[in-house]
Order: sequence, then structure tokens, then C-alpha cells
Amino acid sequence: MSETQLQEAHDFTLDDYQGQPVSLSEYKYQKNVVLVFNRGFI
Amino acid sequence: MHMAQLRQDYDKFVAKDAVILVVGPDNKTAFQEYWSKNELPFIGLPDPRHHVAKLYGQQVKLLKAGRMPAMMVIDKAGKIRFRHYADSMRDIPSNQAIIRLLDILNEEHLDVSNNASA
Repeated sequence: MSETQLQEAHDFTLDDYQGQPVSLSEYKYQKNVVLVFNRGFI
Repeated sequence: MHMAQLRQDYDKFVAKDAVILVVGPDNKTAFQEYWSKNELPFIGLPDPRHHVAKLYGQQVKLLKAGRMPAMMVIDKAGKIRFRHYADSMRDIPSNQAIIRLLDILNEEHLDVSNNASA
């Protein structure tokens, strides 16, 4: 698959539940990211 | 619940150089409670304003998917390599499938790195 066909994941920053900011970009070149969109605990 | 399934093989995900980020509409307190009750090791990101869901609304059809969970795998170059939309609360990819994908991505990344330094 050529690089140009792949979509770049948009960077974002959210605070984790302890208030620490987490950005997607901090994982670039370091980790694979499994991003799960949960729809609510209840 | 897919949180429990992911937790089961968390060590394997870590071994494959993956981090698990869970984004959800609940607030910080709800996340805190859910995380400690279920002893979840991954990163929980409360998004009550749906900021990330909206951000990914075009690339990942979250709005059409309604209240069902979705998942994506992003490689080390920041590219989306896999998307899954659940049909039901139980419809989640097997950990094995994700881990196999991570193996492929890691091998690919290694090839790219080796070629870059050649």
C-alpha cells in the first residue's frame, strides 16, 4: 500500500482522568496506538 | 464489555509497542470510578464535549455508528491502518487480530527504519 493512500490520524490533546494532558502526537515514532472510542459506561 | 477483553491481553499489547487510549463521553469522575473499579491499566480520556469524536468524524464514521463503540489502530508514522465499527456492544475485534496487525506494523516500521539508514 503506498504511503499516499493512508490517512494521517488527526492529532488531539485530552486530559486523562487524572488531569494530565495526553496528545496523540507524543506517541508518533514511538508507539503504535490503539484508539478506542467507547460510547459510555452506563 | 470490550474494556475487559483489552485488559486481558494488555501485556501483549505492551510487548508489541502499543499503547491503548480509550476516549469516551463520560466525565473525569465517571472515568476515575470505572477505571479503579475495573482495574484498567490503559489510558482513559474523558471527552464529554465529543471533541475527538467530532475530530475523527470524517475519517472514522463515528456519527453514523451511533452509540456503538469503534476502534482504530494508528501506526508509528501516525497513519490510520485499521478501523472497526461495532454492530453491537459485543462486536469487537479479537485481541489476536489486533496483535497480529501490530506484528505486521512493527515489522514494516523496522524495514522502513533499516532502509532509511542504508
